[in-house]
Amino acid sequence: MYPPKIGYVIPDSIEEATEFLEKHDDAKVLAGGHSIIPMLKLRIIRPSYLVEIRRLNNLHNISKSEEEISIGAITTHYEVFKSNIPLLSETASKIGDPQVRNMGTIGGSISQLDPSADYPATLMAMDAKVKIKGTKGERTELFKDFAKDMFTPDLNQGEIVTEIIVPNYSDYKYSYQKLERKAGDFAIVGVAVLLKVDGEIIKDARIGLTGVNNVAVRAVDAENMLKDNKITDELLEKVSNEVVKYANPVEDIRGSVEYKKKATKVMTKRALLEALKR
Amino acid sequence: MKIIENNEKTKIHLKINGKEYETEVEPRRLLVHVLRDLGFTGVHIGCDTSNCGACTVILNGKSVKSCTILAVEADNSEILTIEGLAKDDKLHPIQEAFWEKHGLQCGYCTPGMIMEAYWLLNQNPSPSEEEIREGISGNLCRCTGYQNIVEAIKLASQKMRISAFQP
Repeated sequence: MYPPKIGYVIPDSIEEATEFLEKHDDAKVLAGGHSIIPMLKLRIIRPSYLVEIRRLNNLHNISKSEEEISIGAITTHYEVFKSNIPLLSETASKIGDPQVRNMGTIGGSISQLDPSADYPATLMAMDAKVKIKGTKGERTELFKDFAKDMFTPDLNQGEIVTEIIVPNYSDYKYSYQKLERKAGDFAIVGVAVLLKVDGEIIKDARIGLTGVNNVAVRAVDAENMLKDNKITDELLEKVSNEVVKYANPVEDIRGSVEYKKKATKVMTKRALLEALKR
Repeated sequence: MKIIENNEKTKIHLKINGKEYETEVEPRRLLVHVLRDLGFTGVHIGCDTSNCGACTVILNGKSVKSCTILAVEADNSEILTIEGLAKDDKLHPIQEAFWEKHGLQCGYCTPGMIMEAYWLLNQNPSPSEEEIREGISGNLCRCTGYQNIVEAIKLASQKMRISAFQP
């Protein structure tokens, strides 16, 4: 399948890219291309121009401090996976397949904002921030506000995601558990868990859910149940039942509503137990 | 800033298997089509929806699905295809291993499998069976059930480790 006829823009800077995008309202940003090129081939979208940002090197770096980690938007999933970022690297390792991870980028993925993508559960659990640049300047939003609805990021015309910033959860245990229909697929449900543990007592818990809502959510009530408690079979059952209350899946080729809710419970338990093993 | 209009062609440079190539492409042209037009027909078009991995090549050192990359995106890149693996009529150890373990049936997925195995063994010279299966999870084979392919990659990893120790 050939993509439709399309113009192509190779900007030399982010400024040139944002200016072009602002003037051409049906132009699209091309980062790794692993969402947009299949969509072009299937004629789901027909933009006038693609604006290539994958060679803008100042969007391509990871900087770490004790408090937070900043990841440039065109950092590939493979590079995120190799960077030993608590929870986020594990999540990146479960996206698509090796070839997809070699091309796909974190900024591209969250700008596409597929409701079953892997990063959103994790970014929600981590309280990630998103840096956005446009012709009028730069702004930073919490990921939970950035993710407005399915496939609907908070991006105005001419704006580009430049960085993803996550707090450094180096003293947390973590796990991202994903149920997929076949290797490399999007998540039927994905559960991201961060736990701060003192002895056997959970001091802090963060649980993010993807695949079972229009956008990823944090299961706050379930998190609170864990706090200052020891994990027992009984508590695990209670918490995972609570997490299921945050799941409002729709029936599709990946499963029925009932199946997805049950899967959410199973994956939550699995994520909590895996995190505790770390 | 370079702007290529939708009815315009642009010159791109590719270094394929060590040799320089220059060709003209429309922006919508996919890398897989350009490679095949240049004679590298070992690069196969399978599903064309970024699933099957038959079009896998090594682009600037990383395995990619060339059906999901525009040729203009790959301008000034280095590409390795299945045609670039054998040296002086001697098969690459991965090719030998696929031969010896019969890691194929119809052969359609084989070039993509071998290129992905090449990247995998570059990253991890001694992968476990599980790591091999994960490593080729982006490559589909509709004939063999994968067992012989996995065996071939295991054997290739041994062969490559042995040859690396030779003086």
